Amino acid sequence: MSPLDTATGPELTRRQGGITTSAWVLLTRRAFLDARIRTIVFVYVFALYAYIQPRGYRSAYPTASQRQAFADSFETNRGLRLLFGLPHHLASVSGYTAWRVGGVLAIAAAGYGLVAAVRATRAEEDSGRLETVLAGPVSKRTVGTAALAAIGIGIALLWVAEFAGLVLGGLPAGGAAYLALATVSVIPVCAGIGVLAAQLAPDHRTASLLGGVLIAVLFLLRVLADSLNGLGWLRWVTPLGWAEQLRPFAGAQPVVLLAPALATLLLLALAARLAATRDIGTGVLSSHDTADARTRLLHSTTAQAVREQQGVLIAWAMSVGVFLFILGTVAKSISPADISKSLDKDLAKLGSGAITSPTGYLAFIFIFVAVAVCAFVCGQVGAAGQEEAEGRLETLLALPVGRRRWLAGRLGLAAVAATALALTAGLLAWAGASTGSAHVSLPHLLEAGANTLPVTILFLGIATLAYATVPRIGQVISYGLLAVAFLWQIVGSLLAAPQWLLDVTPFAHVAAVPTEPFRAVAAIVMVVIGAALMLAALVWFDERDLAHD
Amino acid sequence: MVWRMGTAIRTHGLSKRYGATLALDSLDLEIEQGEVYGYLGPNGSGKTTTIRLLLGLHRPSAGRAELFGVDAWRDRVAAHRRVAYVSAEPFLWPSLTAGETLDFLGKLRASTSGVPSIQSPRVDLAYRDRLIEQFELDERKKVRALSKGNRQKVQLVAALATRAELLVLDEPTSGLDPLMEMVFRECVQEAKARGQTVFLSSHILSEVEALCDRVGILRDGRLVEQGTLAELRHLSAQTVDVTFSGPLPELAPLQGVHATRTGPQTLRFELAGSAGPLIDALAGHQVATIRSRETSLEEIFLHQYDTSPEHVPS
Repeated sequence: MSPLDTATGPELTRRQGGITTSAWVLLTRRAFLDARIRTIVFVYVFALYAYIQPRGYRSAYPTASQRQAFADSFETNRGLRLLFGLPHHLASVSGYTAWRVGGVLAIAAAGYGLVAAVRATRAEEDSGRLETVLAGPVSKRTVGTAALAAIGIGIALLWVAEFAGLVLGGLPAGGAAYLALATVSVIPVCAGIGVLAAQLAPDHRTASLLGGVLIAVLFLLRVLADSLNGLGWLRWVTPLGWAEQLRPFAGAQPVVLLAPALATLLLLALAARLAATRDIGTGVLSSHDTADARTRLLHSTTAQAVREQQGVLIAWAMSVGVFLFILGTVAKSISPADISKSLDKDLAKLGSGAITSPTGYLAFIFIFVAVAVCAFVCGQVGAAGQEEAEGRLETLLALPVGRRRWLAGRLGLAAVAATALALTAGLLAWAGASTGSAHVSLPHLLEAGANTLPVTILFLGIATLAYATVPRIGQVISYGLLAVAFLWQIVGSLLAAPQWLLDVTPFAHVAAVPTEPFRAVAAIVMVVIGAALMLAALVWFDERDLAHD
Repeated sequence: MVWRMGTAIRTHGLSKRYGATLALDSLDLEIEQGEVYGYLGPNGSGKTTTIRLLLGLHRPSAGRAELFGVDAWRDRVAAHRRVAYVSAEPFLWPSLTAGETLDFLGKLRASTSGVPSIQSPRVDLAYRDRLIEQFELDERKKVRALSKGNRQKVQLVAALATRAELLVLDEPTSGLDPLMEMVFRECVQEAKARGQTVFLSSHILSEVEALCDRVGILRDGRLVEQGTLAELRHLSAQTVDVTFSGPLPELAPLQGVHATRTGPQTLRFELAGSAGPLIDALAGHQVATIRSRETSLEEIFLHQYDTSPEHVPS
C-alpha cells in the first residue's frame, strides 16, 4: 500500500496546510487510473508500430539501390500522403520511419488527446462523481488541473513508448526522441479541443462528437495540404501539420513546437474562462431545459435509440460525406496517370492496393471508409452498452421488454446506419470525382461503399460479443481489435510475414473495389462469422446479470 | 409444487452470490395478491438484490422466484406484463422531457402486451393526468434539468399509472419532500383499495408502519423476521412506565422483566412476555400512574439490529 492510499477524506481535512496538494495528487492518480486500460492499449500500439516500421523497411529493401528506387517512386506519390503525410528522404531508414510512423501515430495521438480530455473532464462531471469531489475542500481548479496532469502522464508514457520502439528498431536515440516528441505534440492540442468542447456541449457524448468533427476537419486540412500543389500553407493551421513541420529526420525545426504550445495554452485559457461561467453538468451551448413534447419515435426501444443517436448519425454521415467528396474532387490530380507495374507491386507491399488511377486512388480511400464504418458500429454497440452502464437498461427491462429484442434492435439500427454511411461515402465520392472531372461510374463507387459492409458486419459481431460477455471493457476490446487489425494490414506485408499470418486480419480479405473484383466468398465468410458472433452474443446476453456502475 | 391461486410473489430458497459475497441467502417469501408487504433492512442487507432477482435482472445462484406463478428469470417478459417497478435511483433519458418519458414508458408497455390471455396493465391516461397533477410534475421539463426527487416522481407516475397488479417499489420516496411523500402514501392506499399488490422495500419505518399489512426484516441477506405488525410487536418487549406516589418499592426480580429507574418517582419495565406477573408484583404499592405503550416498528427494527451477530435468530 502506498502512502497515498492512507490519505483519505478525514485525513485531508485534518491536515489544514496540505489539503490542496494531497487532494490534487489523489485526483490526478484517480484520473490516470480511470484511463489506464485505454492508455495501455495506446502505449502498446505506439511501441509496437514504431518498432516494426524501421525493421520492416530494412528487411523489405535491404540494398541502397532498392531504397533509392523506392524513394524515387514514392516521394512523388500523393495518394499515400493521405495516411502518412509528406515524405522526406525515403531512401534512408530514418526518413522512411519518420514518414510512416509520424503520420499514422499523429492521427492516433489526436484521437487519444480528444478522448482522454473529454473522459477525464466532462464524462466524469456527467457521472455525478465530480459533485461529490467538489463538495469537499477541493476547488474546480484543482480538479481541472489534476485531470490535465493525468493526461500529461499519458502523453509522457506514449512518448516513452514510441521512443523505445524506435530505438529498439535501430534508430538513433536523439532523432527518435525528437520524432516521438513531434508525434505526441498533437495530443495536448487535441486535448485542449476536447476540454473546450466539454465546456460547450450539453453532455460528454456531444462533446466527443463536436471535438471529433473538429479533429476530422483538422485531418482533412492536413491531407489537402500534403496532397495538392499550392495548399502547403494549410499545414500551418492544423496540429497534424505542425507535427510535420517539426521535420523529424529532415532538418529538425524545434521552434515549430511553439505552435502546439501556444495553441494548447490558448484553448485551455478559453476553456477555463468558459468553465468559470457555466454550472456543473451543463454546457455553454446547452439546449433549453423545457420543450414541447415530441412523441415521434417513442413507440419502441429501437425507435427511441434512433432518436437518441440521430445526432451521432448525422455527424458521421456529414464527416464521411465531406471527406469523400473532397477526396473525390482531388482524385484525378493526385493519382499519377502513367505508373510502372513495378511500382504497383511496391505499393502492394504497403498494403494499399494500386493507387495509379483516380479509380485506384478511390479504391484505396475506401479501405479507410471500411475502418471508419467498423469504428462506427463499434461505437453503436458502445452506446447500447452505455444504456446498461448508466442504469437505463434496468428501467427498460423491468417493463415487458425482452432483452434479446432490445439488443437485436440496436444491432439492426447499427447495421442499417452503417449501410447508409457506406452508401453515402460511395455517392459523395462519385459526386466529388465528377466535380473534379474524373470519370468513375456511380455504380462502381456505390459498390465500393457496399464492399465495406461485410467486414463491418464482422466487427459488429466482435463488438457485440465483447459487450455481451465483458460489458465493462467490451468497447476497449472492440476498438483495440479494430486498431490492431488495421495496423497489421498496413505493416504486415512490409514485414514479409507468411501469407497465413497476413490473412489473419479481416482487412486482407476486403478487395480494393472497384479496381479489384468484389470477393464474394470472403464477404460471405465474414458476414456468416459476424452473424454467428451476434447470435452467440444474444444468447449470452440473455443469460447474464445486468451490470451497471 | 403446490401453487395457491392468488399468490403474487413467491420465492423458494432464492439465493444470490456475487463472487465471494452471499448477497441473499435462501429467501422464502410468499406474498398474497392484494397484500402490501414492507421489506425492511439496512443498506447492503440484500433488498435491492431481492428486487433484481424478482424482476429477472439478475440470475439466481440457487432457488427460484415466481411472479403470479410465472418464473421471474425464465419468463421475464410474461412476468413483467403484470408488474410495474420503481427503482431507488431514477435512471431515465436526459434528453427526453418528463412527458415524453411517460409517453415512451407507457408505449413500451402497450406495444408488448398483445397477448390476450394475460391481463396486461395498460396506462390509464386519465389516472396518469391526475397523478401528474397530484405530484406537481412539470411535463415540459427535460429529465436532465430535473432534480432527483422530480425524476423519482416521473418514475412513480409511470409505474402507478399502469395500475399494474403488482407494484415493486425500491425505496420509492428517496428524494421526495414530505408533502410528496404523503401523496405517495395516498396513492399506495388507493392501489391497495383497488386490490393491487405492493412490494415496498424501504428503510423509512414510519412509511412501512403506515402502509404495510405485513413486514419482513432482512439482515445480511437473510430474512430474520416476518409477520404482521401485531405479530412483530408480540415478539419484542413492550414498555411499561410506572410512577409511584410513595417511595420506590423494592421489587423482587421477576422472570422476563427488566426494570430501570428513569426518574425520582418512576420505574421503566421492559417485558418480554405477559404483563400479569408485573401487575401482581405492583399490587399493594402506591402506584400513581401506569403507562404502557406498544413498541414502535422503529424499536422492533433497532432491536433486531442491536443484537450482536451471534444472536441472529435462525
